[in-house]
Amino acid sequence: MEVTVLVQAVYKAFEILEKGKNSEKAREEARELLYTSAKFTSETKFLTEKREARDILLSAKKSGLALRNFVLTFFILFAFWVLLSGRFDSFHLTLGVICSVLVGFLSHDLLFFNIRLGDFRTRTRRFFLAGPWFLGQIFSANLHVAYLALSPKMPIDPQIIRFKTKLESDIAWVALANSITLTPGTITIDIREGEFFVHALDRKVAYDLNTGEMEDKIAHVIMEADHVYIQDVLDVARIFGALK
Amino acid sequence: MINVTDDIIIRTVARVFMPFIQIYALYVIMHGHHSPGGGFQGGVILGASFILYLITHGLEDTKERMSELKAGLFSSFGLLIYSGIGLLCLIMGGNYLDYGRLSTILKVIPAQARSLGILGVEIGVGIAVMAVMFSIFFDISTGGVLPEDEEDLEVGDE
Repeated sequence: MEVTVLVQAVYKAFEILEKGKNSEKAREEARELLYTSAKFTSETKFLTEKREARDILLSAKKSGLALRNFVLTFFILFAFWVLLSGRFDSFHLTLGVICSVLVGFLSHDLLFFNIRLGDFRTRTRRFFLAGPWFLGQIFSANLHVAYLALSPKMPIDPQIIRFKTKLESDIAWVALANSITLTPGTITIDIREGEFFVHALDRKVAYDLNTGEMEDKIAHVIMEADHVYIQDVLDVARIFGALK
Repeated sequence: MINVTDDIIIRTVARVFMPFIQIYALYVIMHGHHSPGGGFQGGVILGASFILYLITHGLEDTKERMSELKAGLFSSFGLLIYSGIGLLCLIMGGNYLDYGRLSTILKVIPAQARSLGILGVEIGVGIAVMAVMFSIFFDISTGGVLPEDEEDLEVGDE
């Protein structure tokens, strides 16, 4: 994985050089990117060690996490209540607060179960930034399936593909599985211990899936901490540049 | 006996949706006097959320949230709220469930007392229906025999 990031970073650096026509500024930017990616890959080993420490940390932080989960669940449920109710008088809002507290107390461990520690705000921002990409993906897949259905020869080539995912948490698996199902032309049949069984309508759709772009996107949104993705490297490079 | 399902998608989606099902059930109960719904419907939805949890997460996990004992207590408690409000109206000199009489206790006008009284009765009905729905499903799925009962039976046979 670290090698892939490094290779991709080098590729990206060459791209920057080409785009900037080998100017001083572009060269500086590319050097910055390579420096950051190299630093990141060296830190990956450190991350794996950190992971073991995190398991101990997690159990220690459990009580604190429960409170955080409760508060987050409360606000989400209260927003949902207001959306449903549509009455803004004090009586109904008070009922909403009572009900949200009750449900939050009953099931605060359900909504945010097995989610990694990480910056919640970053994750939310990334979620909303990734939205248009998913919509675009669904739109283009729609057009492709419409083309397949409307062309007289109907050039379909149904196949079941099987791949091992690099995602680790179950919420990431479910997000990936549902994104695959939501995209026309592909349906997730089953997940068995991190192995996905996907039915694809034709070769192009299957190829798109095998490139793993969607997987990277979801890993980026959910912040699977043990893998460093090219987008993260680019983000950090930008931050480094801004700081300088 | 129902065990944990193997399908991770079903398990995760059920888990994420359960709080929303519960808040929706409470919304249906609380807005019963304004919009369609009410105690029974909301109670059924609330019971369905626990049944969903039982189907997806198995008996062992569900017992921590809702056991047969708790369901029995809740069903009695719901009935107590319902009949308590009814009897309170009787004591205040009206008919059974004549909410207008509650205005002297609640210190509001009779029309508002009726609204609040209906809300109270619906909360009671909701709790009772939720508990009974869960209890019925629990009894059918286990066949009336719990794992610990089976252990007792085995010991008895020896």
